[in-house]
Formats: sequence, C-alpha cells, structure tokens
Amino acid sequence: MNIRLSAPAQGFLLLAPAFLVYSVFAVYPMLDVAGLSFMKWNGLTADKQFVGFGNYLYVFTQDTVFWQAVRNTILWTLMSVIFPPAIGFALALALNQNIPGRSPLRALFYLPVVIAPIAVATIWRWMYDPFFGLFNATLTALGLERLIQDWLGDRNVALYAMFVASVWQTVGFSLVLFLAGLQNVSQTLVEASRIDGAGRFQTFRYVTLPALRPSIAIVLVLSVINSLKAFDIVYGMTGGGPAQSTQMLALWAFTQAMQLGDFGRGAAISVVLLLITIAIVIPYLRWTRSHEGAR
Amino acid sequence: MNAFASAFRQPGLDRIDPILVILWAALIAIAAVWIAPFVFIVFTSLKANSTVMGSSAFSPPTSLEWANYSGAWARGRFSTTVLNSAVITTVKVPLGLLISAMAAYALSRIRLPGGRALFLLVLFGTMLPFQVMLAPLFTLVNGFGLINTKLGIILPYLAFGVPYQVFILHGFFSEVPKELSEAALVDGASHFTIFRRIFLPISLPVLAALLILDFVATWNEFAMALVILQDNGAWTLPLGLMSFQSQFQSDYGQLNAAIVMTVLPATIVYLIFQRYFVSGLTSGAIKE
Repeated sequence: MNIRLSAPAQGFLLLAPAFLVYSVFAVYPMLDVAGLSFMKWNGLTADKQFVGFGNYLYVFTQDTVFWQAVRNTILWTLMSVIFPPAIGFALALALNQNIPGRSPLRALFYLPVVIAPIAVATIWRWMYDPFFGLFNATLTALGLERLIQDWLGDRNVALYAMFVASVWQTVGFSLVLFLAGLQNVSQTLVEASRIDGAGRFQTFRYVTLPALRPSIAIVLVLSVINSLKAFDIVYGMTGGGPAQSTQMLALWAFTQAMQLGDFGRGAAISVVLLLITIAIVIPYLRWTRSHEGAR
Repeated sequence: MNAFASAFRQPGLDRIDPILVILWAALIAIAAVWIAPFVFIVFTSLKANSTVMGSSAFSPPTSLEWANYSGAWARGRFSTTVLNSAVITTVKVPLGLLISAMAAYALSRIRLPGGRALFLLVLFGTMLPFQVMLAPLFTLVNGFGLINTKLGIILPYLAFGVPYQVFILHGFFSEVPKELSEAALVDGASHFTIFRRIFLPISLPVLAALLILDFVATWNEFAMALVILQDNGAWTLPLGLMSFQSQFQSDYGQLNAAIVMTVLPATIVYLIFQRYFVSGLTSGAIKE
C-alpha cells in the first residue's frame, strides 16, 4: 500500500474498535436506561408507552421495597466506607513495619479479593449455616449457645452478616492501595523527624498521614463506588431477603426489570442509582484533575 | 532463623522493639481469622455428608472423600462451564487489551480533533456501574440475536473493560519520551508501525499486569452473565456454582468441592502472578 493516511486518520482507525464496542455496549445502554425510565414496557413485546414521570412517581410513592433498598444501600455504603478502609489502613501500617513474613501476610489478606464474589457468597452462606456452619459451631464450642443465630434468616441480622462477608473480601483491596501509598512516604523525612525527637504518634501524624492523603481519597471514593453497585454478594447470599431486609438498589432494579417484567420501573431505579454515582464521581474527577494541575 | 535476625528493629537501632513484636502477634492472629474460611471449605469438601453432620466443624477430615469432587464435577456440569469460561476468557482478555492499547496510543500520541472529549468519555466510564444497565444490556444483546452465545457476552465484556485499560495505558504511553517515536516518524514509519514495533514492546510489564487483572475479573464476572447466558449449556463457572448452591445446598461435601473447584483457577493465577496484581492496581490508583 502506497497510500499514506494522514496522522489523524491513522489515529481514528486505531481508536475505532475500542470506541465502537464501548459506544454500542456501554454508552448506548446507559442512554437507553434513561429513555426507558419514561416508558411502560414489559421488555418483550413491541408495545412501549410513554408515561412521563409515571415510573418515578410509582417508585417514589408506592414502592415500599424501593425505600427499603435505599436505606440498605445507604447503610451498606456508609459501613463500606468506614470499616474495610479502616481495617486495611491499620493492616497496611502494621505490614509496613520491620516484621518477618510481610509478603505472605499481604498475599493472604489480598487473596479474598481475587475470589469471585459469587463464590464468596456461597462460602459465607455455608459458614452461616444454622446447623453445621462454622459460626454456630464455634459459638457452641465456646459455650456461647445463646449467641447462636439464623444469621441470614433473621431480618435484623442478615444485612450485617452479609456485610461481614463483604469486609473479608474487600479489606485486601484497601490494604494494597494503602501499602502502595506508604511507599511514597519519604523515609528520610521519617528518620529526620525521629532524630528531632518526634515520637511514634507525632511522626505518624505529621509525616506519614499527610503523605497518604491522596491514597486515602482514592480508597474512600472507590469504596463508595464499589459498594453502590453491590449485586453479586446480595444475589448469592440472600437474594434480597428475608422479607426484603437486605434488598439493595442495583438488585432491585434488576428484579423489577428482569424478574417482575417491568423495564420502566427497573430503569427508573437504575437512573436513581446512576445519578447518585455521578454525583460522587464528578466532584472526585474534578478534584483529581485540579490536584494534577497544581503540581 | 534468618528472617528474624534483623526483624523487629527500628531502622538504625539494634535492640528489639517490643511494640513491633506485639504488632506482629496481632497480625498473625488476624491472619488466622482470615484463612479460617478457606480451611473450613477445604475440610468440608473432603468429608462425607454424615461426617459433616456428625463431627466438629474444625476437625480435619479423617478419611478423604475425593468422591465429592468427581460427584460435584458431574452434577455441577463443570465440564461445560469450565470450557465456556475458558473460551470466553481466552478470547476476551487479549482482544480487549489489544483494542484498549490501540485506543490509548491514539489518544496519547496523536493530536486528534475531539481527542480530549473522547478521553473524558472513557474516564467517565471507569466509574460507571454496569450493574444498573443489566436490563437494557439484555434488550440490546437480544436485539442482535446473541442471547446465550459467547459473542453476546464477549462484546459487553469488551465494552466494560475498555475504560480502565485505556486510562492506565494512556497514563503509561504519555510518559514515553517524544524522541522515541519522533525519530521513527521522520524515517517515514506509520503510527501503526510505531505502535506495534515500539509501544507494544516497551509496555509489556503494564500489559502483563492488566492481563492478569482482567483474567480474574472476566473469570469471576457474574451479573452480566446472569442476564445474557440463560441456557445452562451456555453457563460460565460462576453461574454453575450459583445453580449448584440452589439445587444441592444440603449436600455439604459436594457443595464445598464445587466451591473449591470454582475458586482454584483464579487463586493459582493470583499466587503465581502476585506482583502483577499489585502493580496493575496501583499504577492506576496512585498516579497523582
């Protein structure tokens, strides 16, 4: 071939496959979900009716499960932003010290992250088994029979029981990001502050912590985003039950559309979740960009 | 004990720091809690059902019940699901990485009209939850007549893999010194040649890290597979495990054998390629 394409033409050719597949299978469904949220549609027939804000009105005023899902999603997100990052942070600080066996310990704490969430759900369901599971067996062995629960069958306990499984799976993720952040803490500065007579806590407070600020921001934002889309673990552990006590927005949007056959209502719930996510993501992206520019 | 010879000491100090010893003991205790689920699962997977119900949850299996594995393999249709997962992953992961690398190269090294806007569109995608689009995704794939097909799941997987990979590779390519590609451009090489001959080879470590991360993500994906692969002949491993759990959940030994078999491939890949996971994750997150 002797025909030379211009540089932009070559560029667009290189871009084309990725952008084509991204536009069709990621961007289009997102726009489609917004459009569907104003329609009445069962997902199968050609019969689509425009109903304006009807689906939103229904979801906000009549769908009690929706509000239960909102409450659970908020609670789940709050817990996910506090516990796994805090535990990951503490473990990272400890693993950053001069102690033997650091790499195997780090590998072990990270291992649950690479396991399929649906397998984590299955593993923990079995551990919560009321008759032969690890939890109730441990409590019996310790003579604490009165603490025995039907962990996933009791609507006051199920959400928290599920959250413990999620902590086990996600701590490693925060841990690894914090450990990487700790590599950026200047050792010279740490030693200098020691020599100047700063104690452990002061060195941590005035040297380590400021250097970790970007890592902390990233871990918190990623924790919020990941917890908003909780799906696999809920589907696999409780399916939203008992009595919708563990229902969450992502799963309820799926259930409305794919199982109850109301694509419009499902889409309206999706849009709510999408807007919440965007409201968190956009300020974060702005913050990172201004942060980059400031350097 | 060589590992202990210099451990537990603060930098520059000779004496053992007691606080570090206490910290270490605490870490070991937490590690024991962290590993307990794995031990429990493996133990149960090797026990007969009567033993599960009759013995303590912590007791190691006395006679190894390997039949649980062959039983679970057959009842869980693992020969089908493993094959489906393997085909989907082997096609999707390298192909996705290639198209992402091409796009990242174009966005970072070629001045394109609207390039900035396209990059922002991608950046936005890294944060989008595909979980909210399961129903429209089903409609779309159904419209193409691709429900229950490998192509029908590979295309959305490619789409949702693009943003993170383009973002990471864009960051990496942007740091490559201009001189490296300019000399080649002056010599009359096209961007295709520069991408293939210069940029792909120098980015092998990053590509390896992304490859491993994406392998695990694709292997483990559940929600999209759930809506698109509805026929049990098309199921992937996670779908097979889910169905096994709902059908045979009181067959404890076999259920746990099924869990072990589902989790094992990703675990092995992780243990072998550990350092790539860390670099793949952190190169994106800790850039600034």
